[in-house]
Amino acid sequence: MTRTITVGVLALQGGVVEHINLLRKASTHINSSESLQFEFLQVRTTTELGECDALIIPGGESTTMAIVARRLGLLDPLREFVKVQHKPVWGTCAGLVMLAEQAAATKQGGQELVGGLDVRVLRNRYGTQMQSFVAGLDLEFLGRGEVPFKAVFIRAPIVEEIIAEGSSSQGIENGVERAARVEVLGVYRGQGQQQVEGGENGEKGDIVAVRQGNVFGTSFHPELTDDVRIHVWWLRQVVDATWHGKLVAANGS
Amino acid sequence: MAVNLHASTNGANGTANDDFTVKAGLAQMLKGGVIMDVTSAAEARIAEEAGAVAVMALERIPSDIRKMGGVARMSNPKMIQEIQAAVTIPVMAKARIGHVVECQILEALDVDYIDESEVLTPADDKYHVQKSDFKIPFVCGCRNLGEALRRIKEGAAMIRTKGEAGTGDIVEAVKHIRTVNAEIAQAKAALAADGDLGIAALAREIGCDAALLKQTAELGRLPVVNFAAGGVATPADAALMMHLGCDGVFVGSGIFKDAETPEHAARRARAIVKATTQYTDKKALIEASIEHGEAMKGISNAGLKPEEKMAGRGW
Repeated sequence: MTRTITVGVLALQGGVVEHINLLRKASTHINSSESLQFEFLQVRTTTELGECDALIIPGGESTTMAIVARRLGLLDPLREFVKVQHKPVWGTCAGLVMLAEQAAATKQGGQELVGGLDVRVLRNRYGTQMQSFVAGLDLEFLGRGEVPFKAVFIRAPIVEEIIAEGSSSQGIENGVERAARVEVLGVYRGQGQQQVEGGENGEKGDIVAVRQGNVFGTSFHPELTDDVRIHVWWLRQVVDATWHGKLVAANGS
Repeated sequence: MAVNLHASTNGANGTANDDFTVKAGLAQMLKGGVIMDVTSAAEARIAEEAGAVAVMALERIPSDIRKMGGVARMSNPKMIQEIQAAVTIPVMAKARIGHVVECQILEALDVDYIDESEVLTPADDKYHVQKSDFKIPFVCGCRNLGEALRRIKEGAAMIRTKGEAGTGDIVEAVKHIRTVNAEIAQAKAALAADGDLGIAALAREIGCDAALLKQTAELGRLPVVNFAAGGVATPADAALMMHLGCDGVFVGSGIFKDAETPEHAARRARAIVKATTQYTDKKALIEASIEHGEAMKGISNAGLKPEEKMAGRGW
């Protein structure tokens, strides 16, 4: 029996096809003993969101995305998708901003967020486009001894602080399950910029990849490279969560 | 979209491809969005609140440049700085064609993108700026595929149609995107029929780099993001350009020209964003057209004398 997992990319604005192209490529790397198919979908409506088992919020302008999502009535369905249904979500750059519970250096009057990650992001951490850059990152979650991942940072946000956990109510409603911790999965050290506290062992650097339960966020743009490793890793997480029952257990316990 | 051009295209050192990935990458993040011309911090805020993905800071919108005549130059840096301080979305600014020093000034101002633009009076009648020499990315206008690829060869990381700025008449922008699309189809056919020889012959004919033309034929589209510009005045105009395959829309005079109040400009701005992001949704287009209200009066392109046209500037 063939099982289909539908992965959406929020297509309000930004680097949408880049993610879909890399997801397609990544899906050929997923070996499964059981027969498994992926479907990739551009999501612009609540109906399309409802068809998805998992979602990517791509890079773009987070202020624009928030305004457009509000006008399309998508903000609450997105919050439901992330925080109530706990379906796997990955945000890159602007997508990370959208998935944060708090954001600093936003436009006057602030901006609306979806939330899900108990972190405060700092928008445009490195400055304007002149300070955008590419840097090799050692990402242990891809496996030890892997070559560095060429991370593309474009007017990138970082995770400035992990805030009091639990406000995004990861876990189930009646509080039976404890809130999932925010895990730091990537730290950028370098360029002599202001260093912030981060990492498991008090390493210094800017936090540029985090995960909390089924919510994953990166400051940088894997979709602007040909490197499929993070997409492959994330699709495996999606398979685990949607197919092998992790999600079901969380909801049913 | 593949944006890795040959290293020889952009700079000479080993990180040239990374530099270009970063330059073209910002344009990729603007796709599906609207970039609005603004002349003050207050207008920039209206654009940001309406959902613009970026603003273009300039002293006068193109329709006023057209009306006032004289020499149009880079904007006053003070005005650009005020706009940069007012918004968190990317800020672009225009330099005259071939004016290397205006580009250096804009780069030092830390703007996010430079538009080497025919809307300003050209400074060099022979050369465009060698854009790969700069760290800051550039967007340039085009009327056809050859012109687009000549600009990309010089280092442009984003392309837009020239259209006919400041007229509110969409006909030239439509002509330019149709020409680009037709020539891409021609390049694909040449590659399929005659391989590299077919590409070389077409590259000679339209005056562009053969390697870039081949890459375009293989991709079936320009190797960088391509926006519409020059004459977009209504939500339907913006949606038309998206329908014709543009990746996003620049709106020059269409937001603030002849707007009765700042609130009217804000409604127009919101309406054009809505029409661009939902260009296939007819109900949304009706709503956007109603919200937009009266459009700028405009000037028919057919009534312009050749010397009054901006699109003919550059080559």
